[in-house]
Amino acid sequence: MASSVLSSPTVYRSVRALVVALLSGALVAGFLGQIPQLDILEQSARNLYFHVPMWFALMMGTVISAYHSFRYLQSGDRLRDIRAREAAWLALLFGLLGIVTGMVWARFTWYVGSGKWWNFDPKQSMAAVLLLIYGGYFVLRDSVEDPDTRGRVAAVYNLFAVVTMPFLLYILPRQLPSLHPGGEGSPAFTQTDLAPAMRWVFYPSVLGFLGLFWVLYTQRVRLSWIRKRLRREPEL
Amino acid sequence: MTLHPLPASAAAPSLRPQQARPDTAAAYDSTWTEESPAQSPQGLERVMLDDGKIYVVLAVVLIIWIGVVTMLFRTDRRIDALERRLDQDIPEDPA
Repeated sequence: MASSVLSSPTVYRSVRALVVALLSGALVAGFLGQIPQLDILEQSARNLYFHVPMWFALMMGTVISAYHSFRYLQSGDRLRDIRAREAAWLALLFGLLGIVTGMVWARFTWYVGSGKWWNFDPKQSMAAVLLLIYGGYFVLRDSVEDPDTRGRVAAVYNLFAVVTMPFLLYILPRQLPSLHPGGEGSPAFTQTDLAPAMRWVFYPSVLGFLGLFWVLYTQRVRLSWIRKRLRREPEL
Repeated sequence: MTLHPLPASAAAPSLRPQQARPDTAAAYDSTWTEESPAQSPQGLERVMLDDGKIYVVLAVVLIIWIGVVTMLFRTDRRIDALERRLDQDIPEDPA
């Protein structure tokens, strides 16, 4: 067996370089670029470049995690279980970042003058529920001793968890009155929702954060795989 | 073909725009009515609302930065653990 789970170091290094370039560009253009002048939002509209990609990364993470859980159930390959766990862990991290950045943003736009950090907006509440579901994945993992049983139980839970993701992030919040944008009608990014000038920063930023997710995920999978091999007896 | 044709009054079309918009603000009216525009922002808001709320963006970027640094530290801790394990597993090499 190869000593690294990395199938192509060249691809990994290229993505890493691309991530650095894209995120550096997104930071510079995000702060200095032109944006439409809107009431309430004002300059905080620039948060679009940083807050929204967190949720894109979470979505990618949950889908990657569910895919590997599915493959784990098929094959019983321990590496699949490691991949599912690390993807879910990073999805949870990006979700936490997304919800905290969203709280800060909402505090000074939606809830300005009220002193409120949290007012149970459906979009926020549902996102919090999703994070709790993924938190439950790790609680479940840690509560099972036998690695094979743990892998299987966690994989099945994970497949159920990913099904709730689109409902909790999109479908349910759109049925309820919410202050969060993108709730009216179909896709969040219609022609009127995102100014053309902002697209040139937003899309590279999303790409950059998705790449960052993948780089961090790959690092963690590599480390977990080394740890598993050092222990020799099947653990993790 | 409509079973109940609309009355020909001009009022109906003018209502359309309001009807089309979902009532997204009603649930938060308490939040908004508490706000008195005459009151100058206090404490944290005085900082965050300055210069067109650009400090909100700064705060968000810093939070994400802290998240990335947290990952960096956790990865380091994992490497430490692996190094300790290597020291245990591999017999001492007389240098």
